[in-house]
Amino acid sequence: MARDPHSLAGVYALDAISDPAESGRFEKHLSRCQECTREVSGLREVATAMAFGVEEFEPPTSMRDSVLAAVSRTRQVPPSVTAPRRRVAWLITWTPRLVAVAAAVVAIVLGIQLSGTQDRLGRAQAQDHAIAAVLAAPDARVVAGPVAGGGSTTAVVSASRHSLVITSTGLPVLPGGKVYELWLIGPSVIRSAGLVPAAGGPVLASGLAPGDRLGMTVERAGGVSQPTTKPIVLIPLF
Amino acid sequence: MLVGRGSEGAFETVYDRLARPVYSLIRKVVRDPAQSEEVTQEVLLEVWRTATRFDPAKGSAATWVMTIAHRRAVDRVRATTAGAAREEKAARWENATTQRDAARDEVAEAVEARMEGERVRRCLDGLTQVQRESITLAYYGGYSYPQVATLLGVTLAAIKTRIRDGLIRLRDCLGVA
Repeated sequence: MARDPHSLAGVYALDAISDPAESGRFEKHLSRCQECTREVSGLREVATAMAFGVEEFEPPTSMRDSVLAAVSRTRQVPPSVTAPRRRVAWLITWTPRLVAVAAAVVAIVLGIQLSGTQDRLGRAQAQDHAIAAVLAAPDARVVAGPVAGGGSTTAVVSASRHSLVITSTGLPVLPGGKVYELWLIGPSVIRSAGLVPAAGGPVLASGLAPGDRLGMTVERAGGVSQPTTKPIVLIPLF
Repeated sequence: MLVGRGSEGAFETVYDRLARPVYSLIRKVVRDPAQSEEVTQEVLLEVWRTATRFDPAKGSAATWVMTIAHRRAVDRVRATTAGAAREEKAARWENATTQRDAARDEVAEAVEARMEGERVRRCLDGLTQVQRESITLAYYGGYSYPQVATLLGVTLAAIKTRIRDGLIRLRDCLGVA
């Protein structure tokens, strides 16, 4: 067979190599070739876009219970210890395992929300990097709290990056002309941290200052510069 | 206040976001609903098991999950009798004078079958026909590249190049990093 391992990047990214020996050889090559690794991960992003482009099927309702039951019986693999500087491994040494797991799960939720809609893909990719930077910050922490009226809000906070990534689930649908607005509530000033997108998805907020708390209120469409209603979320960030 | 309500609770949220796209992709490749359900469960459990090793620096979470889903779907197709039937079909097609038409029908179905990603469809439309056919047969059809080469009646080297070039063009069109 012709030995130009680079040409295999495309078929490898599509899982189209069925011969284990051949994919093994290519993986060995990948481990030595940074450029190829970058190319394969870029092409996998393309494949992901194709994955989200298929006709949608609703999974059987019974599947949810059986998956969640299986999850409750299944132990997670320990984080890789060969990469001690990675975020998750770092958290493990510092906080209970639960926090690291929660961070990883939140990261997945955020990632899915980001990439779930094709039309937002380009924009999301740029934001994705900023969000990934917050998630990967060595001091990243997860905080969460319930929303009065239903749902919950979760944030990954990095004080060193003065940023946080906020995601909410299960929020009741608001009447027309109303939005959920997020706030950084400091000891002396309150700043808007952005609007919760109607379609869901994460909000990246910067300008985090010591002592800030995360708040959420219901405001008129378009948002306001200072909250006008009682917060339905109040989460200490420090 | 840390997430103290349990990571399994957090996984419910993950399930509610993931189950549908994962199941849809697997249905596309595996076709059989019962088998698709089995594979989907395996995939979601693997996501749970290995979430501790997910590294956002290496790529988006969506890609991590969908890569697992696609690989498992393809493994299933290749391992089962359905896989054997496909091999047979591929071999039959090799001898059929209408092989290109047959492959093209399948591709047309794959591409046009009510795909919701308007942008993906537009970008796929921008490829050359052979690029588009190769990529859809490999990714949505779950065929190996030698099978794709047989179906389309071109050499292995040509398939590798066309798939790679096509994906690079798609990447540029989609504006993916």
